[in-house]
Amino acid sequence: MRTVFALLCGVLAGTASVAGHHSFAAEYDGDKPVTVSGTVAKIDWMNPHIYFYVDVKDDKGGVTQWKFEGYPPNMLVRQGWKRDVSMKVGDKVTVFGWRARVNPTQAASRNVTFADGHKLNSGPPAGTGGQ
Amino acid sequence: MARLVIALSAAVATLAVPPLAAQTAKPPASSIPRTADGKPDLSGVWVGGGFALLFGEAELEAMRKYDEAMGRKPLPAPEPPPYKPEAEAKRQQYLARRGIDDPMARCLLSGVPRITVRPLPFEIIQQPHRVVILYEVHHAFRFIPTDGRPHPDDMEPSYLGDSIGHWDGDTLVVDVTGFNTNTWLAGVGTIHSEKLRVTERYTRDTRDTIIYEATMEDPEVFTKPWKQYATLRLKPGERIREYECIENNEDLQRFEKLLQTEFKK
Repeated sequence: MRTVFALLCGVLAGTASVAGHHSFAAEYDGDKPVTVSGTVAKIDWMNPHIYFYVDVKDDKGGVTQWKFEGYPPNMLVRQGWKRDVSMKVGDKVTVFGWRARVNPTQAASRNVTFADGHKLNSGPPAGTGGQ
Repeated sequence: MARLVIALSAAVATLAVPPLAAQTAKPPASSIPRTADGKPDLSGVWVGGGFALLFGEAELEAMRKYDEAMGRKPLPAPEPPPYKPEAEAKRQQYLARRGIDDPMARCLLSGVPRITVRPLPFEIIQQPHRVVILYEVHHAFRFIPTDGRPHPDDMEPSYLGDSIGHWDGDTLVVDVTGFNTNTWLAGVGTIHSEKLRVTERYTRDTRDTIIYEATMEDPEVFTKPWKQYATLRLKPGERIREYECIENNEDLQRFEKLLQTEFKK
């Protein structure tokens, strides 16, 4: 997949800008994937990245809130998202992404799986951005 | 970075293999839309990079098949920027800091050619006397006169520089100069001076693709011209939307944390 992607991009894209407005590696670690399940607590549908917050319960009844980064609204719409419809506060979700380097409960999201099983891409693949 | 290197290696390996349909005939020139004056019509909404972000897997597969059917050949393999030692040392410093110094992360306008391969679409509007490019990213625009006028004599150094174009057969050639030094050319740390001159060549080789070639010349930082290529892909049905980078840019405060921890000297 990466190969096909790189070929289609042409060569400039191979060494140049691939994704969003900052380097993925600056803030996130593509070698540390993470999957988190919980309840959506808040959604900041904003540029240059969406942020959504997910409350995750542990075995002892405690709650940890995770913060996920994703595409900006213009890209989310192109991935099939609709503001206030695709994801709402209270939704049960499973988020896949990569951990932040500084904040242990923050990650760059790649996709979100909803309670009925459907999945939407929510952010770029690891390793992209700013290159 | 390791992932990027792997991806790049895979890309280069793939580029070295001729496509299966390399023997098939090129499409007739008539399949490329033309304007009333006979020039190839570049008008349309195009994407120059980040295809995995903008296209689904089915679309990516369709593109691959299209390239094969059209007999499109792989673009030349990428070359590292031919920096003089001092400039290369600076680039390595920026790479070591994983791009946190990127002007783009501060929502500053990308220059040429980087703006072409940002993952957001741009629209080319071709007129007899000029070509206009509207970029979704940064709300940026370029007016490229093709009526033979020279660069203005009152240029102020700017992010996108000043562009003038002419047609070399079926290729639109754009001369861009008058840059400031606030942009990176094509990747982390690809710095330049105000002496930068970029020559872009836009060749619509098929109905759905443009071969984009950018030659960067800068005697201050390069030992020779640096040439880069990309395929621009038509995205029918797409339109330019809004993207306002500065709205809630949290990167800078997070970068501050990195500067106080990991990059603290």
